[in-house]
Amino acid sequence: MRIEYQELVRNDRIHGSLLHDPEIFADEMERIFVQNWVFVGHESEIKNDGDWIRRQLGNESVIMVRGESGEVNVLANRCSHRGTALCWEHNGNNPFFQCTYHNWRFGLDGSLRGVPFPDGYSKPKEELGLDRAGQVATYRGFVFANIDGSAGPIDKHLGPAGYELIDRLCEMSPSGKIDLSKGWIGHRVQSNWKLWPESDSDGYHVGFVHASMSASTDTYYDDVAVGGDAVKSSRAMDYGRGHLELDWRPSYKKELSWLGVTRERVKEYCTALAERVGTDRADQMLWDGPPHAFLFPNLFLGETVIAIVEPVAPGEMIHRHTAVQFDGAGDEFNERLLRQTEAAVGPASFITSDDAITAERIQAGISGTNTSWSSTGRGWIDLSRGLHREKVSGDGVRSSDASDETTNRGFWYRYLDAMSGKDRH
Amino acid sequence: MTSAELRAEVEDFLYREARFADEFLLEEWEALLTDDFHYWVPAGRLEGDPSKQLAYLNDNRARVATRIRQLQTGKRLSQLPNSPMRRVISNIEIEPRNDEGISVVANFVIYELATQSSGELRVWPGQAQYRLERIAGNLRMSAKWIELVTAHAGQRNLTFLI
Repeated sequence: MRIEYQELVRNDRIHGSLLHDPEIFADEMERIFVQNWVFVGHESEIKNDGDWIRRQLGNESVIMVRGESGEVNVLANRCSHRGTALCWEHNGNNPFFQCTYHNWRFGLDGSLRGVPFPDGYSKPKEELGLDRAGQVATYRGFVFANIDGSAGPIDKHLGPAGYELIDRLCEMSPSGKIDLSKGWIGHRVQSNWKLWPESDSDGYHVGFVHASMSASTDTYYDDVAVGGDAVKSSRAMDYGRGHLELDWRPSYKKELSWLGVTRERVKEYCTALAERVGTDRADQMLWDGPPHAFLFPNLFLGETVIAIVEPVAPGEMIHRHTAVQFDGAGDEFNERLLRQTEAAVGPASFITSDDAITAERIQAGISGTNTSWSSTGRGWIDLSRGLHREKVSGDGVRSSDASDETTNRGFWYRYLDAMSGKDRH
Repeated sequence: MTSAELRAEVEDFLYREARFADEFLLEEWEALLTDDFHYWVPAGRLEGDPSKQLAYLNDNRARVATRIRQLQTGKRLSQLPNSPMRRVISNIEIEPRNDEGISVVANFVIYELATQSSGELRVWPGQAQYRLERIAGNLRMSAKWIELVTAHAGQRNLTFLI
């Protein structure tokens, strides 16, 4: 049966079945994770020729590898002979990939280089390379791929806002470059993957879900996301195309609040940044900090944390994160970012562990909703907060108070486009 | 060769520490720590310099105090209610060190019920490395490092004392 997504995603609400139905999940893995652009990884993870990482894009296991001429290849982790996975570690370095079943050997570009006893084949080798992502694009080290190659140009996917958000993060680094090679921590959560774009960009819950953090430690979230005044000055932004931001900049009460330190503690970093961008701009940037943003469908830019949203099954996902390291900022500064990341994000953290339990409670709540599309009276999830007061600018950017569900709706608008085929060019 | 008395004393300490953690006796657990206690759960093996790695958990004494305070707020959603849990400790190897400290290695398995959400039974197998010191005659813990069997595989919420 064909699912009518426009019946399930409305302007002010979505149906709970979107979060647990296996048929919908299967559709998403195809229409979003195969037919659209998705974030794969960062070039700093594969610095040398032959460096590779394994990553899961929906149902597809892929290898992101630095090729012989320095190019970034995104290959299916699947031998073109019998389908055996070629890599099972998280990362490594090889001059080639060799299948362990019949020793077929592939180059770093996925081309078939050799098979044992080749006399048995009359097919040309060119027909038996690994499946490759149809399109790969990189921007400031961020690697995006579109598996089937049909999604249209990356510029259309990212749009000006996508580029600007990545710029705003990278520019915080003294050299303008970030490094994401400290490894990824997997947080396994019993929830649908789509609860995380919402959680990561929801400004309404912070004072409630994270009350225990506010009560036990000083946190800048108290200034930017908790209580009436802060949530009035911070902004919930929907830039279109499912790219979202909670813009804390208007609410910070002091410079470097996002880092939890005074300038004296990180003097070298501040000086190095000012040397590249100028004192006035550096002063403003140190106040504003890196963005808290989500790029559809799977990339979270969480100030100095980067996370990937990885679907596993309708009620199972992994929130995988790493710490941003600022190239040129020095070891002491970057270790501070490691410790800050450990405090904020992950299974044992002070913050997102409570988001995880919330997502699992939502999953428990909605899994009983009626999955019959015709019976639409039950199991709705309301996302109407702020609809009456959000502003839409000439270029379609929506903004509202940070506690409004402008960001949540922005995710679902793009989702509906992707799932109903409107995304296609 | 570890003396029978020392082994008995160390085992008593480990079993008490385990029970305090299982039963969320947070103040009692915290009283077992030295002022320079280090708590570490890496995303891989127990090797290399902890300060250079991104871990599941890497607490100095101040941060472990915050961790305990957060659990004590009564608002820590991921431990509302506290997980019913029990751990068993075995394969205890004890190595007295020259500087009065004692290194201990043990295997453990924790059984945790996720009553806060799905009700799933979660099993946490691994190795614990302890560093014990004698302060005013009593054993105290100056380090607890945990190597999870599942370290590379990602984790469910880990908001109890492991």
